[in-house]
Amino acid sequence: MANLEKYNKVFCDTLEIKEDQLPGLQYQGVDLWDSVGHMSLVAAVEEAFGIMMETDDIINLSSYEKGKEILRKKYNVEF
Amino acid sequence: MSNSKLLTGKTALITGCNRGIGKETLKQLIINGADVVCLIRKENSDFNAFAMPLAEENGVKIVTMSADFSDEESVKNAVRTLIKDKTRIDILINNAGVATGGLLQMTSMVTLHDVFQINFFSQVLLTQMISRIMMKQRCGSIINLGSVAGLDSFAGYTAYGSSKAALMFFTKTVARELAPYGIRVNAVAPGLTKTGMADAQEPKSADEMIGRTSFKRLGSPEEVANAIIFLVSDKASFITGQILRVDGGM
Repeated sequence: MANLEKYNKVFCDTLEIKEDQLPGLQYQGVDLWDSVGHMSLVAAVEEAFGIMMETDDIINLSSYEKGKEILRKKYNVEF
Repeated sequence: MSNSKLLTGKTALITGCNRGIGKETLKQLIINGADVVCLIRKENSDFNAFAMPLAEENGVKIVTMSADFSDEESVKNAVRTLIKDKTRIDILINNAGVATGGLLQMTSMVTLHDVFQINFFSQVLLTQMISRIMMKQRCGSIINLGSVAGLDSFAGYTAYGSSKAALMFFTKTVARELAPYGIRVNAVAPGLTKTGMADAQEPKSADEMIGRTSFKRLGSPEEVANAIIFLVSDKASFITGQILRVDGGM
């Protein structure tokens, strides 16, 4: 599975949303992306890409797009 | 307690185990069958001479790492190494701390910051990072070394007592946050214990603390370590968010 596909699947499965909701999606933008859901999302992202994110990155993962940027810049995940 | 191995198959990370309660807790961890990662300020031959033969005798592994608890980057680097090596951590014992006394008007803000950095902020940082490993494992046990000085009031404890009070409040808060991941978080609050820290205390102040105990004596590091070992073991599987006083009945 390509990285983008994997990334999208993590968001859709964890937050129970459809792919067309992903662009522009922000933290707390849907019901399940609250503080508890955020940790589940982080855990799912880490599991999917075999990484462990640092605290600053967990805090900065404030949107769907920002997450991609963090993964690309800090964890060498190419999209 | 030391006759049965309560911690076989577990890996513990303990900070500040060069002396006092930390050293005795390290001994008890080893005797109880845990592999141990020791995070200490400076490795030294005395420490190795103490820990290595004991580990060999008990068939457990010891890894020693250096970290300066007054420097957050130093703590982060140590944990990054553990994460990179995919080290399993079942138990975290936040023992490193600094003792300081002084009346309010004799406590500088620099001292207050320094004490909080070592006794509170670095413990929070370490817990934040190590709990991420535990969250992935869906289990773990964390112990913070509090103090009766953070529960009861004593003159001269503005810096030390406040930092320990913060750490114990943190214990209760984080216990709630980490319970869904199967992680227990507790603290022990020793009274005056026979360590170098107690020796450094003014005799009058030490006498006052001893006088408040029901047993009219100092605690021993072993008595505190025994409480820690119980709390980190599966024997305490339904205990979280608690502050266990080990103070001889103050």
